[in-house]
Amino acid sequence: MADVRDIMELEHPSQEVTRESIIGSDKQKKRPPPPTKTQKRPEGMHREVFALLYNDSKDVSPLFPSDTGHGYKQTKIKLGMRKPRKWKWMQFTNPARTDGTIFYHWRRPSDEPKEYPFAKFNKKVDVVTYTDAEYQQHLRVDGWSKEETDHMIELAQRFDLRFILMADRYDTEKFPKRSVEDIKDRYYKICGVMSKLKGEKKIYTYDVDHEKRRKEQLKKLYDRTQEQIEEEQFLMLELKKIEARKKERERKTQDLQKLISQADNQTETPKKADKKIPKKKLANPSRPSRVDTTHIFQVVETAGIKFPDYKNSGVSLRSQRMKLPANVGQKKSKGIEQLLQEMGLELNPIPTEEICQHFNELRSDMVLLMEIKSALSTCEYELQSLRHQYEAVNPGRTLTIPPQLLSNLELDNKVGGGEIIDVVGSPSTPTS
Amino acid sequence: MSGMLYGGDEIGALVFDPGHHSLRVGYAQEDTPKAEIPAVVGVAPDDTPKIEPEVKAEDGNVSSTAPAWKYYIDTTFLHTPRPSMELHSYMKDGMIENWDLFEKMVDYSYDKIIQSESQYHPILFSECPWNLRQKREKLTEIMFEKYKVPAFFLVKNAALAAFANGRATALVIDSGATHTSAVPVLDGYVITNAVVKSPLGGDYLILKAREMLEHIGIDLTPAALIASKEVVRDKDKPKYTKKKLPFQPTNSWMAYMIKRTVQDFQQSVIQVSESPFDERIAAGFPTVQHEFPTGYRQDFGPERFKLAEVLFDHAMLGAGHIAATSAGMCDVDIRPALYSSVVLTGGNSLVQGFSDRLSRDLSSRTPGSLRLKMIAANGTVERRFGAWVGGSILASIGTFQQMWMSMQEYQEAGKAQIDRKCP
Repeated sequence: MADVRDIMELEHPSQEVTRESIIGSDKQKKRPPPPTKTQKRPEGMHREVFALLYNDSKDVSPLFPSDTGHGYKQTKIKLGMRKPRKWKWMQFTNPARTDGTIFYHWRRPSDEPKEYPFAKFNKKVDVVTYTDAEYQQHLRVDGWSKEETDHMIELAQRFDLRFILMADRYDTEKFPKRSVEDIKDRYYKICGVMSKLKGEKKIYTYDVDHEKRRKEQLKKLYDRTQEQIEEEQFLMLELKKIEARKKERERKTQDLQKLISQADNQTETPKKADKKIPKKKLANPSRPSRVDTTHIFQVVETAGIKFPDYKNSGVSLRSQRMKLPANVGQKKSKGIEQLLQEMGLELNPIPTEEICQHFNELRSDMVLLMEIKSALSTCEYELQSLRHQYEAVNPGRTLTIPPQLLSNLELDNKVGGGEIIDVVGSPSTPTS
Repeated sequence: MSGMLYGGDEIGALVFDPGHHSLRVGYAQEDTPKAEIPAVVGVAPDDTPKIEPEVKAEDGNVSSTAPAWKYYIDTTFLHTPRPSMELHSYMKDGMIENWDLFEKMVDYSYDKIIQSESQYHPILFSECPWNLRQKREKLTEIMFEKYKVPAFFLVKNAALAAFANGRATALVIDSGATHTSAVPVLDGYVITNAVVKSPLGGDYLILKAREMLEHIGIDLTPAALIASKEVVRDKDKPKYTKKKLPFQPTNSWMAYMIKRTVQDFQQSVIQVSESPFDERIAAGFPTVQHEFPTGYRQDFGPERFKLAEVLFDHAMLGAGHIAATSAGMCDVDIRPALYSSVVLTGGNSLVQGFSDRLSRDLSSRTPGSLRLKMIAANGTVERRFGAWVGGSILASIGTFQQMWMSMQEYQEAGKAQIDRKCP
């Protein structure tokens, strides 16, 4: 404990808590031993021999255990040194009661007699009140007599505006049966009128028809059978599927858009230049009018392979520059490998400065080619499926697709992608 | 002030919970009633010679013509056969019917159970949710006029059962001796117009069990009439000797004792199957042996489930159905709250498998978008004395002490205000 106090930099307690202070000393305080005469070492006696006889506390050193009394026996704790405080069966009145009835409960007489502690929880709802004159002047409504209104207000007080219970306990012998909404409507109308009379600005209104409609709908919702619920769930699932398909289609068209614009861009600008421009454009997003173009520029960057610039300090192997970046997927790298084999190129050419650059560009173009090809095939598929849909909707008619829309994929394959590379406008394949 | 920490303030109140099977009596703030007294009173002509003839003379001709009656209350007195002792129940349809006998019960409770005088203890009574106004007023009058209680309060037992399970809003399903009821409780108030009850309770189950047992020819002689018996093998004819009584016990006493015997059988043997009764499934369950007071022993198999099925197979009266009907009669806005706390209480709900079957039945009727939660206390005491425990809690809450209808209020405004004071 003292260590903790030291760490916390607390002051030491004035009085040390000891065993005696809790248990109570079972013996009277030991009297300090009477001052003994200091024995003097006789002349000629060795110091060690003298120390055996007379140790520091000037007692003879023990020959056998002398503490046979209490040993490990537990000392009885003497708790409750003080007198216990008394409890008494005492009377009390509850100020929350109007009749001042006296009840009894157990209490400590030593406690100060104060107000009944639970009386403060006696909270009442403010229920609107009106005088006879006010009623005659402002509150008369067809279908509600004064007696019935009084009864309703009395119920509101009894049940603290729990309208459901008010409707339940409504005196249906004297008055017609009223629904919860009827009672609420009447009550809130009275509230509105009374607060208008008091000159309050904000008047709340209660929309009976809306409430009735809401409850009707809720009732319908609860009354659905199991089949209806299942059908609804099934339909919801179908809707989700349709939406997912729609999104997929949108995504594909966007991809296509990307590739087209990329191809256009690459024909116009030299590759090296456009690599740097978009970065600057991207860094300035405060111009919303440019959003579309930046989008296209972004597309340009993502297609193909983006080789990282080696500007690290220190020495590095040039062959490192030819390593495919990590973000190129397995599928793409396999495709590159295949194409290279078809062309009869080495997978790892000697990395001279020139070869490095050309080899990287070649592979980037290869990836682009693959992407364009796959986009083309999806378009083809889309076109065919649209044609089928069209024919299904208009039976007996065939949709002739203009030949320029039909692909000549077979032709491309024969040339080995050379044409596309020309379209893209990249340098011709490097010779190795 | 004891128990202030938990909002409690005990003022020495008593809680009385009258039912068809028994009357529960005890002090508020205790967790179980001090006594559960069977709700029947034995009445026999008093033929003991009068010790004080002077008193008789004072009464004049009234007592000399009218026969004096002796009343036998509580298990030990009831279970002994006595000459021409007729047993009467003072309850009818959940309400107190015979006030004279009921007063005898209250006298007995104060005298033997509470062992204190009535004017020192405020008293909280439970009542069934469909109690009539005149009966409430009558009870108020008796408690104030005859017993001079300092304060009185009357609460619907369904609301108390909800309190005992820690809910103020609940759909209380109370399966008692004479009926099963579904009672919606909102913020501690019973919605009286949406109470649904069916006459299928413990007594009906006992009646059916008795019919079945008598049909297969089992001797239902109660233990109180048997002097000795021998151990016999299963299904062998019982060997026992009857007590030699110089008189014939009354029919009502015999009926009551046989009912207790069958009740033993019902409690230890009968079980509700989880799904609607199917002979083949029931046959797959292990049989249960029961020994009757005569020493007769038999294994019971599918009968166990078939008997309990009477509580559920009625299309309109099954517990699940009345619960759904009751909730359906309530305002739509509170239905989710009701379904999310369905409180099960009452001694008959302790029939094995009752709560499982009920929750199954009810969940098939619960609207799909609502969450169903069944609250059934695990202990038998909590289930049997649900309303009493709720009353015990309520009467010892500090904020409740302002609710009592006091003697002073009674003297000022009369018994008619009970309807306003205790909704």
